[in-house]
Amino acid sequence: MTAPAPIIVARDLRKAYGSLQAVDGVSFEVAEGEIFGILGPNGAGKTTTLEMIEGMRPIDSGSATVDGIDVGRDPRGVKARIGIQLQASSFFDELSLTELLVLFGHLYHVKADSAGLLADVELTEKATSQVRTLSGGQKQRFSIAAALVNHPRVLFLDEPTTGLDPQARRHLWGVIRNLQERGHTVVLTTHYMEEAELLCDRVAVMDAGRIIALDSPDGLIGSLVDRGFVKERVERAASLEDVFIDLTGHELRED
Amino acid sequence: MRRLEIFWALFVASAKMFVRNRAAIFFSLFLPLLIMLIFGVLDFGKAASYQVGLVDQSGTPDGATIVGALTAAPGLEVTTGNAEDELAAIADGGRDLVIVIPSGFRLVLPGSEGFVPIEATVNSNTPQESQTALLIVQSIVGQVLLTAGGGGSTSPLITVTAVGGQSLAYIDFLVPGILGMTIMQLGLFSVAFGFVQLKRTGALRRLFATPTPQGYFLGAQVSSRLLLVLVQIFILLGIGIYFGLQLVGPLIEVVGIGLLGALIFLAIGYAVAGWAKNEDQAAPVANLISLPMLFLSGTFFPREAMPDVLQTVTGFLPLTYLNDALRQVINDGASLSALGTDFIGLVVWALISFVLAVRLFRWE
Repeated sequence: MTAPAPIIVARDLRKAYGSLQAVDGVSFEVAEGEIFGILGPNGAGKTTTLEMIEGMRPIDSGSATVDGIDVGRDPRGVKARIGIQLQASSFFDELSLTELLVLFGHLYHVKADSAGLLADVELTEKATSQVRTLSGGQKQRFSIAAALVNHPRVLFLDEPTTGLDPQARRHLWGVIRNLQERGHTVVLTTHYMEEAELLCDRVAVMDAGRIIALDSPDGLIGSLVDRGFVKERVERAASLEDVFIDLTGHELRED
Repeated sequence: MRRLEIFWALFVASAKMFVRNRAAIFFSLFLPLLIMLIFGVLDFGKAASYQVGLVDQSGTPDGATIVGALTAAPGLEVTTGNAEDELAAIADGGRDLVIVIPSGFRLVLPGSEGFVPIEATVNSNTPQESQTALLIVQSIVGQVLLTAGGGGSTSPLITVTAVGGQSLAYIDFLVPGILGMTIMQLGLFSVAFGFVQLKRTGALRRLFATPTPQGYFLGAQVSSRLLLVLVQIFILLGIGIYFGLQLVGPLIEVVGIGLLGALIFLAIGYAVAGWAKNEDQAAPVANLISLPMLFLSGTFFPREAMPDVLQTVTGFLPLTYLNDALRQVINDGASLSALGTDFIGLVVWALISFVLAVRLFRWE
């Protein structure tokens, strides 16, 4: 069996801000239908890497193609085929969710199925509300709905669960898994190791503008253990978060 | 076609956002109206009818014609009587205006043989009411004179006795100033605040994650603001006319000058919004630009009251050019070519502000 052609190919991407080399030769491929995670501390260059592939930021050197389209040559062509959720998900405050989705439809030259999109992220009852009335988790879910307006091949999510409580985070994981089942490729950045471990098929670990490891979560853990790593504290059968969820339930706490 | 659709969607969104923003509506529409009311046409109820005392000493058919016309005039509450009683009624506050048609009055132009002027006494304690009433009387007498075969100006026909009080048609002075002020505030603040907010929160970035070029948004925003300026011009002029404003020049010229002024202040707004990183930076700069102009550009009171040096300096402010141009068109019916320096001043400011906006503007 031959591996499917990669939908994203990044080759030796570089970006400098003044004397700071924010991204310093990043290469990777993402297969169609994959959930691909980029991990790394703040300032590692995760967001800049995403923004170059999305056509949001000019590439200093190197190349990136999405769905066969060269970002450097045709950034608008790439933007038309992808969905983007930015780190700070902010929209026009005075418009309702439906109005915003219809507006975004126009910006992508498509007719937005606002009711369907809102149903996908379980915000149907908020259709006529304005964004500012949404809770943090609802905002994140809405920004995913907005990213899906153009039926994108690839979805880029920049720290989608940062700032959410455990219930809202787990709920969003469910939304992201559903997207994968429907054939979307997802690229996300995160600070949460548990999220990367549970959600991602493969993970790239970035530091100081470079990818320092790239494998499946199991593969990364396996190779660390192979090198003789022993955890200081023995892993228990449950984590404190498991306790928290057990005590407070899976129910979303919004409004 | 597709482009037009995108533009239209953004235009509608931009207009909706403005209209739903209570602060923006308050500052751009209600505040000017409030100021207009406070300064000029306070007291709606009383304005509905003006107390006019009418004394006919003429004993001529022409005098009776005037009495008939004034008695029939809507908005005037006419009481006839003798001069002594009526003038005393002014002192009591029972009359806004007393009109005395003198002995031997005839409907002839000033300077003609047998001309004697009508005498009007205004109540300086009710300046708004008495002067509005006087305006009504003047226009009625003018009409009667016109139908009688005369013509020309009516003001020499009536001699006015007024103790203190404001100029005859303060509203004619005020409305163009309020228009200028509104156009400045809308252009400057709707952009300086609104745009900086979109920039700071990242809503603009989200827009640019779509394949639609950034220029569309800017074009749609500018167009929607110009439409709002247009709506405001109509509302403010309409209310002004209701309260006795005389719109002498053509409406299309008022609109043209208003939109040119709006472009200037929108460009200044984009310059501020482009430079500022957040609202805290934009607010003081926008206020620093607009507040002095509000008081130095002859918005509420004529600049002639200022010291000479200040008059000269403030003559170069963009709002001064805008106010003066609007006044020339609204009050005097000046054509665009007759506007002279005011029009040139507006064009020069449009160029300056456009260059500033291009130099200072940043999307992020």
